[in-house]
Amino acid sequence: MFKSVSGFCLLGPSPQDMERHHNSATRTPLNNVGVQRRSKSYRLSYRSCLGTAASRLGLTPALTARRLNTSRRALKPHGVAEKVDPEQLALLVKTEWQLSYVTPLHQFRHTQLKSYSRRLAAFIAAGKQQGLAVAVENPQTTFRVSFSLVEGMTESADDAETVLIQIHARPSFAGQDEPQRPAWSGWLTCVNGNPDYLRSLPKDFTCLPLFGSSGAEGLGALVKSWFQQSFDCCFGPLEVSHTSLQWLMALWTNCHTEASIQHLKMIWTLPAVPPLEVTYTVNPEDAWELWRSVRKQKENRGGGGEEEENCIDIEEVADFVQGLKSHFYRHFRLDLSAGSLNQVSTALGSAKHSGRMKISNSRYMTTTLTLLTESALLKMPI
Amino acid sequence: MAATLSLSGSPGLDPSSSSDQSVSSRSNNRSLRVAEKERKKNEAEDPFVLALKYFSDVEAGTPVHGNDEVEKNMVMVEKVAYMKGLSPEAISIMLEFAMSLRMGTTLCARVLKCLIPATVVPQEAVVRAVVWLGIGKIPISTRILFIKWVLTVFDMIDAKDQLRAIYGFIFSYVTEENLFPFICHLLYLLTRKESVRVFRVRKLLELQSRLGRQPFLLSLLSLYKVFCPELVTLSISSRIKSGFRNHNMPWKSALIAVQKRNGSQVATSISLASAIKTNPRKRKHCHLELPVLSSVVSKEAQTDPSSSRKVVPLVQLHSFAHILENMHRIELPAQMGSLLGSSLALQYLDCVQDESALLRLNFWLGHALHEEFLFCGDGGASQNSEEALQFLNTLLSTQHFLQEGFSCSEAFLYKFLSVWDGSLLRPQILGLLSNIPVVPSSQIRRLLFEPLMQLFFTSSLFFKCGLMECLNNMLLKWLTWHSVYALEDDLDISLNSHTSINMTLSRFKDSVMELVDFVGQLASLSLQLEGCHSLLLSFILDFYETVCDTFLKYGLPLVVMPTPGVFYPALFATDPVSVDRLAYIMYRYKVNLTSAKSQEKLTEVKAFHISRQTFREFNHYAVVMVNCLWNSNMFQPDMGVQLGEELLLKSNVPQYWTSFDLIHHPAFMSYAVDFHQRCWPERKDMDLNSIKHSKPWSWYLEYLFSQGYDGLKQFVQSNISRPLTAAGGHVDRQDDGHVDRQDNGHVDGQGDRQDNGQDDGLSTLQR
Repeated sequence: MFKSVSGFCLLGPSPQDMERHHNSATRTPLNNVGVQRRSKSYRLSYRSCLGTAASRLGLTPALTARRLNTSRRALKPHGVAEKVDPEQLALLVKTEWQLSYVTPLHQFRHTQLKSYSRRLAAFIAAGKQQGLAVAVENPQTTFRVSFSLVEGMTESADDAETVLIQIHARPSFAGQDEPQRPAWSGWLTCVNGNPDYLRSLPKDFTCLPLFGSSGAEGLGALVKSWFQQSFDCCFGPLEVSHTSLQWLMALWTNCHTEASIQHLKMIWTLPAVPPLEVTYTVNPEDAWELWRSVRKQKENRGGGGEEEENCIDIEEVADFVQGLKSHFYRHFRLDLSAGSLNQVSTALGSAKHSGRMKISNSRYMTTTLTLLTESALLKMPI
Repeated sequence: MAATLSLSGSPGLDPSSSSDQSVSSRSNNRSLRVAEKERKKNEAEDPFVLALKYFSDVEAGTPVHGNDEVEKNMVMVEKVAYMKGLSPEAISIMLEFAMSLRMGTTLCARVLKCLIPATVVPQEAVVRAVVWLGIGKIPISTRILFIKWVLTVFDMIDAKDQLRAIYGFIFSYVTEENLFPFICHLLYLLTRKESVRVFRVRKLLELQSRLGRQPFLLSLLSLYKVFCPELVTLSISSRIKSGFRNHNMPWKSALIAVQKRNGSQVATSISLASAIKTNPRKRKHCHLELPVLSSVVSKEAQTDPSSSRKVVPLVQLHSFAHILENMHRIELPAQMGSLLGSSLALQYLDCVQDESALLRLNFWLGHALHEEFLFCGDGGASQNSEEALQFLNTLLSTQHFLQEGFSCSEAFLYKFLSVWDGSLLRPQILGLLSNIPVVPSSQIRRLLFEPLMQLFFTSSLFFKCGLMECLNNMLLKWLTWHSVYALEDDLDISLNSHTSINMTLSRFKDSVMELVDFVGQLASLSLQLEGCHSLLLSFILDFYETVCDTFLKYGLPLVVMPTPGVFYPALFATDPVSVDRLAYIMYRYKVNLTSAKSQEKLTEVKAFHISRQTFREFNHYAVVMVNCLWNSNMFQPDMGVQLGEELLLKSNVPQYWTSFDLIHHPAFMSYAVDFHQRCWPERKDMDLNSIKHSKPWSWYLEYLFSQGYDGLKQFVQSNISRPLTAAGGHVDRQDDGHVDRQDNGHVDGQGDRQDNGQDDGLSTLQR
């Protein structure tokens, strides 16, 4: 295990490296844009294939490669804290969530959350009893499900409101009068979803592509299958890609002056036998120094006006990561480019390649969720 | 030695026979010992044995993190465990290592997960582990894991007496809340009449009063009641069968696989059998499983009872007539994916054209395809190929039923083609591919042709044939759609009232043209690569049989001629079938062109325009074919195939210009010989050229046609005007022995070619 918290030598990456890196960093899984609504008939097929599509995007939606945005707004302390009920916000931060993507929900109504709570509770009780020959008395009292609306999380008019689900359960061996304890919680959200995609969906679909879950796995599975049966949607695991992890690193570091990141920790895995795991921790000031120099380079290159100030490009992210890598190489003669980034964490949050994510500071939640919403939308089958 | 002894002894004498057995067994033992020694010597170097040795000797407190040695040995043990299972000794060593927590708790769970016995589990090891359970600081989840493991392998434990002896010890764990269900199960398996004691019953009843009537507890109590009804006064319903769930999931599949591989009989243990019966839980990724057809939980019915509109869930409909009756009030199922399994439901879907219903189905299907074939990093597709196969077959039959591909499978294929190895589920993938709707010509190259080209040239002949067939089917489907949906009076594909924009005919034609060109390229290159393999050629000619009839059969005013790379290999093919099929194709081209031309004159519509180039190409091919097969006049200067005069002379082939006529063509030579023998049985020396005389020539043709070469017949009849020698009886013998020079029928492209003497006559026949 390597650990490097030492001071930083700034070393500009060579142009070739940057080029190469940039290429590899921007390459994200190919996917299609927009939903192609294909009706049964040939004529309709023609229309959606070339007609409406041509007017909207100029290309057949299914035929266009979709990528992660290559430029995004820098994190700034957003109004989330003011907009969202602090109690609800407290439930969202400081918990590690296992992420999934969800295909659009059919016939989901934000107005029916009460009835959903009831139905999900009954479903869980029924599911828990499956395989048990003897009915457990009063299953309803064992589980309490609450759906709640988290208002204020949305960023654009096309985003659907976030839904928070909590399940309280009485421990199976507790007495009747013991209080119920939170056993599972999860949420569905959409922050800054691709408007083209969202608008292309018919009215009776609600797109909340990002799903986070935390708590007993069995309950999580039951919740998912209830959603699948009720809203005809599908769940799939959402990994935080290499590129997204790098984005998070850069975006978090960018906030250092406003909210200390305390440390920038990365875990890399190198393909050696046996696999070599490198934990690389960077002093926050050093990381900030490096990031600032990367930003400066951009300004020197003549990076445009006011509004571009707040934008971070993938090139800068790549430069930043390349700087970290070459520093590591100077010390350990180990090129991290050969390996893969598995985990990043700062005081603002942490994310793992396996799809576990924690946001520790609610002020910077929006940008993180925007990035993850984007990744989730990339996973949509159509 | 044993044999002689038994011969000497009288058969009635038992002692002697038993003694010789012991002798023989002793000698066997000796040889076994020698073998054992040998084996041990080999094993000393066996990494697996070394790994076991490591785990039995490793000192407590050795760090795990960053310890490559333990990692290496662990991987070794896991490999063997999942491959062959572990021997009883190995189980003992590993279990002891894990439960003693010599290297911490993380490794403990990992070891437990790979404890897959090859034969039996030694009882002592289990007893020791149970003891460790009492003294070690094992985390609760690992304790549960251990008990689950014991439950899984319970029937493979070689004896149970010692375990029963520590019944009381095991019983003491019932007070641990998390372990309780599993301990109950274990106790249930171990309980004997003598184990049922008043204090135990009392304890269990006390627990029951605290925890409620938990099924596992009830099961154990009911067993107690069976043994000692006087102690258990509780009334227990006789309906409870088993309150125990299956806890053996982590090992079940691995265990079955290992036992299958070892051909072991231990597999038929009761616990496994019952486990399979009760609840074969699905594997973790079960996206390929069709959901059950179930109705939506009807909210309206609850909230609004006055609603007069009664809906009929699709699941309640059982016949087509029933569907028709209830057409107006059918309710779609909760999960559209369930429709795939039911043809009745698909029929309904086909009728209603509900956009969001189709979208739901597409989301589900696309999700399943993506997760199974694209997102799974572990090569999941190959692991459960049987399931994947069934799924794709269901999808294919659905698409055939609906006569259209789903857009999600189209989107999926574009991505999948770039990662496909060309062999995984080939027939199914190619089947799906042939269903994709018309791809706009601007995109077709990037999406379809580039990945296909790579696969095509790096794959076997059979893949090439498969792809040819697939592309032919694709073209057929495109053309069929066109012929069904294009309106007669309109050259554009219909503008329907509810569609705003349409695909124009010219764009459709562009796509078709791209496809045909692409196949032409693939075909000519692959014929070279595969040495004009006749199987491949046959699939290519299949494709051109579709292409040559685009106008007449499918009403698409487009005629694309084959490339020379296909035409010449087919013409010079060594099998007569290919030549015959080429002749048929050329005949159909001619019919199509003729008809297109007459239509063009009638309608005077610009869109009907078929380029002069096409006519020219056709005429050229027709001339070549007639010259080759009929006029024995190869290697004309205007032919596509040109060879230098000197080179031809150098080849020393006599009369090289005749070598591809119907007599000397390698494909037909055998017929010519056969014909010669039948015609002139008395002749000793064979002179094939004598067939060329007018009368035998026509007989020869009749003979060929009678062999089933209809394509050739149609080609000859449509392109060559001959004096009907047989019918007319007029023999027109010439001195050189050749039949009159016949000429081909030219199809004239444009009226403006009158200068060369050929007027608008569509088929000019010359003598």
